[in-house]
Amino acid sequence: MKGGAKVVVEQHRHAGVFIARGKEDALVTRNMVPGESVYGEKRIAVEQEGGDKIEYRVWNPFRSKLAAAVLAGVDNIHIKPGAKVLYLGGASGTSVSHVSDVVGPEGSVYAVEFSHRSGRDLVNMAKKRPNVIPIIEDARHPQKYRMLVPMVDVVFADVAQPDQARIVGLNSQYFLKNGGNFVISIKASCIDSTAPPEAVFAREVKKLQEQQLKPKEQVTLEPYERDHAVVVGVYRPAKKKEQ
Amino acid sequence: MSSLRNAAKRKEHKERAQPAARLSRHGLLEKHKDYVLRAKDFHKKEATIKHLRQKAEERNPDEFYFAMEKARTRDGVHLAPTAEANKYSQEELRLMKTQDIGYLQLKAQTEAKKVERMQQSLHLIGAPAANKHVVFVDDEEEAEQFDPAQHFNTVPELLDRSYNRPRLEQLADARATSAGDAAAAAVARIEKKRAAAYRELMQRQQRQEKLGGLAQKMAYDKEVMGKGRKRKLRPEEAGGQTGVFRWKAERKK
Repeated sequence: MKGGAKVVVEQHRHAGVFIARGKEDALVTRNMVPGESVYGEKRIAVEQEGGDKIEYRVWNPFRSKLAAAVLAGVDNIHIKPGAKVLYLGGASGTSVSHVSDVVGPEGSVYAVEFSHRSGRDLVNMAKKRPNVIPIIEDARHPQKYRMLVPMVDVVFADVAQPDQARIVGLNSQYFLKNGGNFVISIKASCIDSTAPPEAVFAREVKKLQEQQLKPKEQVTLEPYERDHAVVVGVYRPAKKKEQ
Repeated sequence: MSSLRNAAKRKEHKERAQPAARLSRHGLLEKHKDYVLRAKDFHKKEATIKHLRQKAEERNPDEFYFAMEKARTRDGVHLAPTAEANKYSQEELRLMKTQDIGYLQLKAQTEAKKVERMQQSLHLIGAPAANKHVVFVDDEEEAEQFDPAQHFNTVPELLDRSYNRPRLEQLADARATSAGDAAAAAVARIEKKRAAAYRELMQRQQRQEKLGGLAQKMAYDKEVMGKGRKRKLRPEEAGGQTGVFRWKAERKK
């Protein structure tokens, strides 16, 4: 190879996520649709020993809360190859496309977005990716899309609404299997802009517990986002056996 | 014959370097070409000084100049002509300030765009953690017995490396953690480039902050120069800051 490799890709703790170390220093996912960028992100092609090329897409933690949580050292994102994910707050589908990369062709992503404008981008993205099912509906009314979504393994929510915990609880009741997991991004200023962020996070965690969503861990997203936290947990966990 | 020789371009002969023995004793010595440049410059300055000195010596004190018609003295001292103090009106100054602010904002915007583009692929991986990680456990007993390495299913050395803590199973499979020796060599080579990229990113961020702050300050100055009744606040009123004004509330419609 002339000049040696320009970039080295190492596996991440979470399956389906990688870190590219080169001139850039980036979190990447393996591109399911080689040769195409979704939102103008950089792509990195790496040649394997066999001579075939693998293409990765850069996953920007300054734009995606999930990427920021991954780099912040969260223990488990539960989004892994083959998983079924309900993604609330899909927006234009930038992060959704990376989740679709992670779950791979075996898994599926049900992306719910209320706004028609960003929903259009979401739908266009889903045309290229068979494992993404776009749903343009209000996440407050899961009964409207109950015919489209089966039981899922993970619920991811980035809706930035004051009643976020209620929305996630409602969707979990409908679609999340017992012992399934949830990942929620909380923006403190969207819930209560007057209270200190720590208090807001604690209050949200309380609300989640009331919905049978048991939080396991919480990470704040500095330096990528200010006053944001991601809470990961489990829904209706199986009772621990007495030893 | 000589004119013909001048017309054809002759080869420029380069002066040889000093022999190694002399070089080690005297260091790098000046070449003739450089000496000529230095000498020419020196003689030019010498000639200028000589010319000025001559002019001063031969000056005629009775000579008339037109500037004398406007020249004034005060208490026997000659008044040097000064630039007009208020050449521009308040409105003109305000307009000029608007243009300055616009330029600063443009530059700040450019820097912000560049920062954003660089951040796309520079993810601060391996920077010291600035965030907080909370793990929820069931009871106090569990909290007391909490072992981070065991919880994260990794080795204790990797606990500080929050961006990627491979699990024990992954560590056992060496292929997952390193991409081979050739890759390791490549990493060392590109490390330098990456460090430079991060340096540039930091400088651009600082520059953008400075430019933005300056534009804001100038915009405030412009507002102060503008219309509206206002009062300058005392530092104790403005929380220790000086140069803060408060405008009188005015009904717009």
